[in-house]
Amino acid sequence: MMRTALTVLFVLGVAWGGWGQDVRLTLAPADAVGDWAQALVPLRLRSTPAQDVAFDGPPLVLSQWGEVVLGTARYTLLLGIRADGQADLWVDANRDKRISSDEILVGSRAPGYVEWVAELRATPSGGEAFLYPLTVVWPEGRGYVYLVGGAPRWGEFAAGGRTATVVLVDGDLDGTYGTKGDFYAVDVDGDGIVHGEPDGHERFALGEGFTSAERSYRLSHIDPGGAAVRLVPTGYVPPKPPLLPGYPAPELRFTTFPDGKPFALSDLRGKVVLVDFWATWCGPCMNELPLFLELYEAHSGDGFEIVGLSLDTSERDLRTVLAERDVGWPVAFEGKSWDNTLAQLYRVYQIPTSYLLDQDGIIRYRDLHGNELAERIVELLSTPLAPVLVEASPVLVPVLGPPRPILEVHAPPEVGLVPGEGGMFSVVLVNTAPYEAEEVRIFLAGLPDEATAPEVELAGIPAFGEREVRLAVELAGAVSPVLSASIEVLYHYCIADACFQIQDAVPVVFAVGEARPRPWAIPAWWILIALGVGLVLAVLLRGRLLIVAGLVLVGVAGASLIVGVLRGQATQAWRIASVLCTSCVGIDEVRTEDVTLPPSIRDALAAFPGSAHLMVFHTPWCKSCPYAKALVAEVARANPRISYELVDADQDRDQAEKAGVIQAGRVIVPAILVVETGRALFGTSDLAARILAALGEIQ
Amino acid sequence: MTLRTFRRGTQSLGILLGVFGATGIGMTHLLFPGLHCYACPLAITVCPIGLMQNLIISGTVPFYFLGVVATYGLLLGRGWCGWFCPFGTVNDLLAFRKARFVRALSPLKLLVLLGTGVAAWRLADTWFCKLCPAASLTASLPYLGLGVAEVNTPFLIHMGTLATVLVGMVLVARFWYRYLCPMGGLLSLFNRVSFFGLRLRADRCTECGVCARSCPMGIEPHQKINSSDCLKCGKCIPACKSSALSIGFSLPGARGRDPLRASGTAARADRVPPRQ
Repeated sequence: MMRTALTVLFVLGVAWGGWGQDVRLTLAPADAVGDWAQALVPLRLRSTPAQDVAFDGPPLVLSQWGEVVLGTARYTLLLGIRADGQADLWVDANRDKRISSDEILVGSRAPGYVEWVAELRATPSGGEAFLYPLTVVWPEGRGYVYLVGGAPRWGEFAAGGRTATVVLVDGDLDGTYGTKGDFYAVDVDGDGIVHGEPDGHERFALGEGFTSAERSYRLSHIDPGGAAVRLVPTGYVPPKPPLLPGYPAPELRFTTFPDGKPFALSDLRGKVVLVDFWATWCGPCMNELPLFLELYEAHSGDGFEIVGLSLDTSERDLRTVLAERDVGWPVAFEGKSWDNTLAQLYRVYQIPTSYLLDQDGIIRYRDLHGNELAERIVELLSTPLAPVLVEASPVLVPVLGPPRPILEVHAPPEVGLVPGEGGMFSVVLVNTAPYEAEEVRIFLAGLPDEATAPEVELAGIPAFGEREVRLAVELAGAVSPVLSASIEVLYHYCIADACFQIQDAVPVVFAVGEARPRPWAIPAWWILIALGVGLVLAVLLRGRLLIVAGLVLVGVAGASLIVGVLRGQATQAWRIASVLCTSCVGIDEVRTEDVTLPPSIRDALAAFPGSAHLMVFHTPWCKSCPYAKALVAEVARANPRISYELVDADQDRDQAEKAGVIQAGRVIVPAILVVETGRALFGTSDLAARILAALGEIQ
Repeated sequence: MTLRTFRRGTQSLGILLGVFGATGIGMTHLLFPGLHCYACPLAITVCPIGLMQNLIISGTVPFYFLGVVATYGLLLGRGWCGWFCPFGTVNDLLAFRKARFVRALSPLKLLVLLGTGVAAWRLADTWFCKLCPAASLTASLPYLGLGVAEVNTPFLIHMGTLATVLVGMVLVARFWYRYLCPMGGLLSLFNRVSFFGLRLRADRCTECGVCARSCPMGIEPHQKINSSDCLKCGKCIPACKSSALSIGFSLPGARGRDPLRASGTAARADRVPPRQ
């Protein structure tokens, strides 16, 4: 009997441990969980729909199309501007490829943006279809919308004799739970609040485990339709320390930069401490530096200390800034950016991020800036050992989520290399967001010592812009026939005063072929040498020898011509000649200076009552195009009803031709098209004033 | 048909190719065998010097460019300047005042070519285009009319170089092609070895020097036939009373293609005939 009971208990234990606990989830009511459960994804709008969709609605002066994919269902959005300037959104909700008048959504307007709420049917592959609440936000005048959603689902599970809330979020808004970008949160401390903020101690990636009531669990199964998740016990997972006011700040230990002294945060007990995560590439961080220097000078003698935790990757940049600004407080530098161990300990997902600690090392405030920071420091210094705040109220309510890659990396999965030589291949980087990706570095990781690949750096990729880079791989010795590596893309971007650095990786396989020279690779240099020798002989030789030299040169010229054509140089010549960069041929000035709009023009732009969409046509080799792009960006900043998009005229000649930025068969860059009137502005002279005048032509 | 009429015909063909875009044909992959800006609103061909600079900036080993230029050079040499190039035709039409060729200045055009390449390499910019008088005439002025260009500093620089070169052409016949044209410099490397050229019958040459006096470039065809400065325009041919000179296609180095002194006859002591 006893034996049977033990067996049953064992089987039940195995069942519990092996199969875990199924948690039924239901769609969480709106506002039941925090804003952190609403993910935000920008969606670029285009002048034509992705699918062949007809529109039966009222006449529009401007139509912009987008597409939302929820599981296997693709919904076409149409953002239309009527003649009276009213913006409306239609969704092909029944997916019949015909948008009728009644498929219009009711919008609510606020200064600067319009918002529509939709409920679309998501059809996840392998799961049951469900209604997906989605909010579409259009910053007026822009060529994109924000999709806000995530369809958070919640349920209860039993842990250690009590129940805890589990929330599952479709973080990438693809209508399928359990995919890349999704996450979950659990009320592990049972305080009734789920701290699912991007750096919250109760938020977890799908592969991450958690500990509640001293037991650790992980997700073993997620229903694609979000109907249920299965939680199974797992090995002990250390709980994440809360980073909320009232909780002690996690200990920091490091060697200071550049003097190499040991440092421990706990040694600063008795002092008010500002723990600041920053980097020299982060504009908002550098803007704060003068205030920090001022505060440090004023209060360091009264028991105030700053601890700088740098997320820089460039030691030289950091060393220069510390020396030039005469920074006296301890600074940590690992050169690992977001992989910095101290930043990971504090779950830093944006910079600047700062915590103000009291004399006991307790977090009292976070992300204070300007006068408020100065006042709180004085307050803490003047009221030492004040009662600790215990209520856990997060100061930050982020809706942006943790750093999300904004660059799509398109590269061939397999690249052929020639032994002893190497090869080249193209990588296309597409910016999918309305923010500029800055200081983009592209390099290969995981190659053997015999292979080298120089890093490529781009100053930036503008909002929704696209760049193609060529990566070269050189093979110096014998390598295995197949090399696995990854294309690493490192960049940062800023949204308002928050900056993020991203390192993305795309796998690539190099197939090293037979040592077979390309038909034109070996004679290539011989052609140049033969041409030079032939020309010298043509000057020196006489009589029949000159005839021989002439005939040899004919052969060499023909070979050079063939090699050039095989290498695509004829097309290269055509490309250079058929897109006219006005500043390159001395028709217009080369403008490379920083753009500043005169106050009178900025005010006039801000007062522009209508809406306008500008298209900036450019090419990579155009000298003044960066200036034109920056100026149009400034124009759009001056008035949110003015939107713009960048078009590479070399890559997208059809669009350039359709737009009419052509004079006598030449696509001319830089050119700015005012879509509403079809007026094209060429060159950069008095460009801001000319744009203003062109905007004035819009009825 | 006289040689002069025939040459006017080929020069008209050169102008026709330069403005063939008027037919609606867009840009092609062809290189123009002379100096003609690809920015010209009616151009359908690529300017070799403009392309050369862009290829240097982009770090491309220019096989296509060299192949085409060498082919052109082997075919006519500087004959393109005298028979086809539209800017050469402008030189020709303004060649009122013949002057002696200053041989010391001859390498200037090669220096301009070298400077153009070095500027593209070191400064990563197409500096020659910004000064080119051909571009001033065929791009800046038309685009001003089309409303793309404005009267600004680059435009005034273009007009300045154009005016200077035009004045130079009026004062010294074929001034641009004598001393400054980088395309002419490039083609001059092939002049001796090109298949089109002058031929001299040594047995008929009396060394009277009339050919030299008729030469707009101020060179002495009978002394240095098909020299790197000769445009092979053929003006010396009807001037020669003893019919010693002829022009046409022949193998480089063939009989009559070498200078007179190379064929055994001593050169005249004074070499340069007296001007009339």
